[in-house]
Amino acid sequence: MPLLFPLVLSALLFAIGTYVVMARRHAVLVLMGVELMLNAVNLNLVAFDAWSHDPLDSGQVLALFVIAIAAAEIGLGLAIVLLVFRTHQHIDVDALRELADRDAASTP
Amino acid sequence: MAMWVVILPVVGAMVALFTGHRQERAAPLAGVVATAAALFTALLIGLSQWGDAPASEFGPYEISTGGTPILASLRVDELSASMLVLATAVALLVQVYSVAYLRGDPRYPTYTALVCLFTAAMALVVTADDLFVLLIGWEVMGVCSYFLISHHWELEPARAGAVKAFVMTRLGDIGLLFGIFVIGEAAGTYRISGILSAAGAGAISSGEATAATLLLLCGVVGKSAQFPLHSWLPDAMPGPTPISALIHAATMVAAGVFLVARLLPVFVLSDVSMTVLSAIAVVSMLGGALMALAAEDLKRVLAWSTVSQLAYMFAALSLGGYGAGVLHLLSHGAFKALLFLAAGSVIHAVGTQRLGDMGGLLRALPITFATMTIGFAALAGVPPLVGFFSKDAVLGVAYEQALHGEYAARGWLVLVAGLLGAALTAAYSTRAWLLMFLGPRRAAVEPHESSWLLLGPLIFLTIPCLVGSWAVLQPHFLSLEADPVHAPVTLISTTLVLGAVAATVLAWKHLGAADPAARLGPVQPVLAREFSYDALVERVIVQPSRFAVASVAANESSVVEPYAQGADTATQWSARLLRWLHDGNLQRYVTTVILGAVALAVVIGLAQ
Amino acid sequence: MTLVEVLFVLLGAMALGSAVLVAVSNNLVHCALWLVVTLGALAGCYLLLAAEFLAWVQVLIYLGAVVVLLLFALMLTRAPTGTVADLTSSNRILAALTAAAAAGVLIVSFAAGFGGTRIQIDSGDIGNAEALGSTLFGSWVLGFEVLSVLLLAALIGAIVLSRRQERD
Repeated sequence: MPLLFPLVLSALLFAIGTYVVMARRHAVLVLMGVELMLNAVNLNLVAFDAWSHDPLDSGQVLALFVIAIAAAEIGLGLAIVLLVFRTHQHIDVDALRELADRDAASTP
Repeated sequence: MAMWVVILPVVGAMVALFTGHRQERAAPLAGVVATAAALFTALLIGLSQWGDAPASEFGPYEISTGGTPILASLRVDELSASMLVLATAVALLVQVYSVAYLRGDPRYPTYTALVCLFTAAMALVVTADDLFVLLIGWEVMGVCSYFLISHHWELEPARAGAVKAFVMTRLGDIGLLFGIFVIGEAAGTYRISGILSAAGAGAISSGEATAATLLLLCGVVGKSAQFPLHSWLPDAMPGPTPISALIHAATMVAAGVFLVARLLPVFVLSDVSMTVLSAIAVVSMLGGALMALAAEDLKRVLAWSTVSQLAYMFAALSLGGYGAGVLHLLSHGAFKALLFLAAGSVIHAVGTQRLGDMGGLLRALPITFATMTIGFAALAGVPPLVGFFSKDAVLGVAYEQALHGEYAARGWLVLVAGLLGAALTAAYSTRAWLLMFLGPRRAAVEPHESSWLLLGPLIFLTIPCLVGSWAVLQPHFLSLEADPVHAPVTLISTTLVLGAVAATVLAWKHLGAADPAARLGPVQPVLAREFSYDALVERVIVQPSRFAVASVAANESSVVEPYAQGADTATQWSARLLRWLHDGNLQRYVTTVILGAVALAVVIGLAQ
Repeated sequence: MTLVEVLFVLLGAMALGSAVLVAVSNNLVHCALWLVVTLGALAGCYLLLAAEFLAWVQVLIYLGAVVVLLLFALMLTRAPTGTVADLTSSNRILAALTAAAAAGVLIVSFAAGFGGTRIQIDSGDIGNAEALGSTLFGSWVLGFEVLSVLLLAALIGAIVLSRRQERD
């Protein structure tokens, strides 16, 4: 199998993940975008592992680590989402403007 | 073992500093004991180096620098050993003397700690076998000197003198540092023994030697108060008198002479440097003696005399007279320390430093009188005291060079100046002696002889003045190969000295016991103003510097300032423009970050 | 094209298609379900790349745990289950351009770096769970332990964050 197959697939998945993170308004959707990006990375790792025949299986082990970290990240992310929902009664990411420069508070 | 001479005083300094404020007696005791231990070690070293013993070494421990390495090492040969004994002996006497002289001084712990530290630094300088190790000792001495001059910092002259000494010696030290660089690069090592063997093997070219030694001379001239960096030494006199004896007469100012003597094989390679050294020596020798002749302040007389006497040593060294120079260095260390300590005793008794306010102290201070007379006689070169022989050794070198040496012209110059200087030295010594001890009493207070703690060191210091002449007459004393007696020169110089003494006494009698310097006529005020050298420096260096500083300041506010303010304004305006980007929309932030990363990747990819 | 390549292309197209649907669908629950398809297809890809242990981990953790968590989050935030008109923000055009640029840069650099190379999968590579386990608990054990501490910290952090504040 050409190495390019999984690489191109992972690049496209990653790009879709970034689009989801950048353009979707619902915070849970944003988290899904992050998952897509992480999976793209995992695919990359597995592909390079299969290609290099690494005796330590670094690619697969790192992919396992990424999965574990992603699980931790999703748990924390959901906790934050719930917290935001409790304080704001909505989780529209582009309506959360607490970080804005208050003097120049522009209309959203 | 040389290491211990450096370490012991430092330990003493620490003890004095940390215990001195709780226990009044601790600081003097620590100072005296530590210095005595150092002197004992120095004497042991001296005994082991006596005769033809090979030089003992410590180290080297290599400190890699990326270039020529620094080799931390000490090396003791006869020159170092004799300098060690001189420095630690004078330091011990000064420590004992200070116990009485500065009794009850609230800053005594700091004072004694600095003296100890100075002793350690001097020991480091004379035993160092690497130029950077020497430089460390050299600079520590300088900073100790600065702090000790300003010991009475509540007095304006003390502060001013300290700053002047610091600035002037530092000016010279810049040259010294660069001289070390040049010499180290030329010889391929900073180790003194390595440099000397390189110079002996002809590995240092004449041009390199000239550059290096001229730069080294800057530091030497600054440290040893020679023309044109001489004027700090008289202004350092507001420091406590024991300090003047130790640092500004016997040891630190002699470090310059020591350095030239150590590196003499390199100096010899450069005719230019040796000529410059001769010229500096002649100017300082005569100038210092003339100003000593007119000075009103007892300690200033002695300070100018130190400038003049150090010039004798440089004059000898500039003619290749290693033995004569070192011999005069050692004998001067002894008698000038004696003179300063005796002067301290006098000042302690009458409460003034002005010669015009003394007089008739012969009865009141018999022991001080006796010891100081020996000191002045040694300074003036009256036979058979040690100063006579060491000075004639210097003149003898000049005589030999003038008649059948390779530096005939410089030999004649030094010889004539040296003889003239000898007469002047005799004259100013006699003048100060007459004004202090004879004639009517002018002191406002009833003077009393000082305590034995003050007198003890004086009496002890007369021993080298008297016995030293026997020692220097021994052939091969300290392997110096100095020749103290040259019949024609000795004859002329003795005649000149005795004539000058007689003339001064006659003038003094003729003026009715008034200052014989009045006989100098219109020259006297010029000398008393010290040739207006400070005013000249003020006009040529200080005022142009001030003007330059003022113009820089003006430039700063009119040219540089707008740039700074412009940067400020520009930042504010651009911040206002970019503010709309910062609208709190996290997704827009993320977009910016990703775009930036992509752009960076593209730029890096295209660059490769 | 071998059978493996054909299968990979099919699975990849499936993953991509459902990922695009995740990105554009106007129904939150559908999004989560399309994500399941994407992740499942990826698990298939892993299998084809001889990483069967990873494939099952993917199925267990992603399909099992993560997606369920996401669905829980949707429920807890009372997200509408039907179609919503404005799930995509006004940033979409810039976001699409950025994503396209990122994909372009990545693909160009991959193609430049690994254009002609092929993955050679031997029969020895298949069935490697035992080898993976021994390296994971041998050479990688330090990272593994650090990761366990990280998971514990995340667990505690999630509890702290989602606890109701009693003072309010």
